[in-house]
Amino acid sequence: MGSAEDRVVAVIMVGGPTKGTRFRPLSFNLPKPLFPLAGQPMVHHPISACKRIPNLVQIYLIGFYEEREFALYVSSISNELKIAVRYLREDKPHGSAGGIYNFRDLIMEDNPSHIFLLNFDVCCSFPLPEMLDAHRRYGGMGTILVIKVSAESANQFGELVADTITNELLHYTEKPETFVSDRINCGVYIFTPEIFTAIQGVSTQRKDRANLRRVSSFEALQSATRSFPADFVRLDQDILSPLAGKKQLYTYETMDFWEQIKTPGMSLRCSGLYLAQFRYHSPHLLATGDGTKNATIIGDVYIHPSAKVHPTAKIGPNVSISANARIGAGARLISCIILDDVAIAENAVVLHAIVGWKSSIGRWSRVQADGQYNAKLGVTILGEAVAVEDEVVVTNSIVLPNKTLNVSVQDEIIL
Amino acid sequence: MKALILVGGFGTRLRPLTLSVPKPLVEFANKPMILHQIEALKAIGVTEVVLAINYQPEVMLNFLKGFEAKLEIKITCSQETEPLGTAGPLALARDKLIDDSGKPFFVLNSDVISDYPLKEMIEFHKAHGGEASIMVTKVDEPSKYGVVVMEESTGKVEKFVEKPKLFVGNKINAGIYLLNPSVLDRIELKPTSIEKEIFPKIAAEQKLFAMVLPGFWMDIGQPRDYITGLRLYLSSLRKKSSSKLATGPHIVGNVIVDETAKIGEGCLIGPDVAVGPGCVVESGVRLSRCTVMRGVRVKKHACISSSIIGWHCTIGQWARVENMTILGEDVHVCDEIYSNGGVVLPHKEIKTSILKPEIVM
Repeated sequence: MGSAEDRVVAVIMVGGPTKGTRFRPLSFNLPKPLFPLAGQPMVHHPISACKRIPNLVQIYLIGFYEEREFALYVSSISNELKIAVRYLREDKPHGSAGGIYNFRDLIMEDNPSHIFLLNFDVCCSFPLPEMLDAHRRYGGMGTILVIKVSAESANQFGELVADTITNELLHYTEKPETFVSDRINCGVYIFTPEIFTAIQGVSTQRKDRANLRRVSSFEALQSATRSFPADFVRLDQDILSPLAGKKQLYTYETMDFWEQIKTPGMSLRCSGLYLAQFRYHSPHLLATGDGTKNATIIGDVYIHPSAKVHPTAKIGPNVSISANARIGAGARLISCIILDDVAIAENAVVLHAIVGWKSSIGRWSRVQADGQYNAKLGVTILGEAVAVEDEVVVTNSIVLPNKTLNVSVQDEIIL
Repeated sequence: MKALILVGGFGTRLRPLTLSVPKPLVEFANKPMILHQIEALKAIGVTEVVLAINYQPEVMLNFLKGFEAKLEIKITCSQETEPLGTAGPLALARDKLIDDSGKPFFVLNSDVISDYPLKEMIEFHKAHGGEASIMVTKVDEPSKYGVVVMEESTGKVEKFVEKPKLFVGNKINAGIYLLNPSVLDRIELKPTSIEKEIFPKIAAEQKLFAMVLPGFWMDIGQPRDYITGLRLYLSSLRKKSSSKLATGPHIVGNVIVDETAKIGEGCLIGPDVAVGPGCVVESGVRLSRCTVMRGVRVKKHACISSSIIGWHCTIGQWARVENMTILGEDVHVCDEIYSNGGVVLPHKEIKTSILKPEIVM
């Protein structure tokens, strides 16, 4: 039973520029956490989910980007949502657990009773208040959000086994080669401040071992015994695996959607999942129209107030249109993200694509893909300032920034 | 005397190299592309060079400050706010190009590598007394380009034919011009093509003359031509008996190695190889027909051919890299990996072999 004294701090890990080359070409100009899904920067979704946590006092974003890349966003989101949000830059890699340990003094300044740790590129319903309640009931050091996936896909993630009655975490293994379990780690955790002691324990153990052991050159080649610096602590291998089965860690299962946003194709899928969520709890954010005064809208569609869409255009389902975009007469947009300042000319068709900032799509041109979110070329991606000329067809392709396409292309990456 | 170098835009054909550095600063034979041209201009007495650019002027200007002082030549930038084509930039830079001397000025295309016989071009221009001179070069497949049809004896240009379907001639525009200041009066400040709009008018007035470029010529704006261009360039150095070419038992053919690079034992380097500053080539390495940029480490027993290895890459032991593999900055090819035409964007690690040409993002 939570007391009125309980204070909660949330930490969102946002990564850095050299990681995540999988998000190219969209990551060339913009940090991935700021890429918009359903009209809002990716990191906005976990941040606004944190707002629902009772007694939340502070949100920290921890990453490797330069401070100035997040300065504007952090001050505007703090104002908009009326929560204290701050970006902290890691000077060197500390691992997924070492990161929060590095900033433990700052995090503990508010004397929180609980600390949420979230990965920014996870797309889910973030049932954080429910996780907090469950965590209190379990009384452990940490609770992990888990979800059931298909047995075939489970080995891409951290697989875990939990006690069906007590929900205690019994076993955890990261990306195993053989099947362990179809329950996987969602990348959302809640801890009590004891987590810092646990991380420190790993650090100290590593330092001691480094002093005692002389590593033979053969051992040094084996990556399993690769020695990390003492303050490099990984959450999965160094904390979750060793502490499983020791009545310290528990699991909370979500029955809602969950995806990882690793590639541009997946960001289109996740934008659709968030749009569907808006329909459920914030329908005023979605566009409406029947072709008379406004364009015809099918399904879940977000249109930024400054965007201009011709009334004869037909938009949706799963379309997100960003600021200052202009959609011409008779255009048809299905399953796509249209970024800022894009101009789509008359009668063009966009299907399963992401159209980059300032790009232009010519009349009767067709930008399309088969829509397989996980395939390398399953969603067509146009980088910044790409021009597709009239009547050109672009299919299952990725086009890097500043290119002009005056002939049709298919199944290609255009540098 | 003055000169304008048309630098243009994003250099997308030389990606992934141009994702790290603007195209004119990409090194060719261990020297930034644009420096080849600036040095050739300085050698014949040009005192001021204007660079017509529309991308990353700060990066260019910073770099050029160093060379301004060293070469004692004035270098300025003329920045297009919208792409002005191949003639518009001349109008934009008009004030910088015209002075009271009335002397003609050079215009060079920044992608072109050649012997730059600029002194001969000045004499040719004086001799015919026309308004404009252009350098043309003979090619095997003229239909890929714009063909210049000219009177063989005088060089007087009759017309330009863009990508002709039937044979009309085998000389194409080499991208080197010497123009009288009066040419600037023909160009408006708007997107304009010098080949399609300006030169045909001058030709119609019988005032345009073409000189056949002696020596080699290459447009190195894309990787395949960059590699061919290196062969031509090094071969021309050989003809001049240049001391820049490397010698030694481990060298075959024409090879250029920066003095700060280290080559190990038992290597075989060449033909047509450029090894950049600070490179470490460990023992037992074979390099042929390739460029290895600044700071690259090639580990033991590796083999690289017909490829371009970008700045600060590492090539693992026993790796084999060939067939137009282009590695962007900071790419690490693991031991024993094979790359057949991989085009790899910066900051990647290649842990599995690339069996057929593909782009790795």
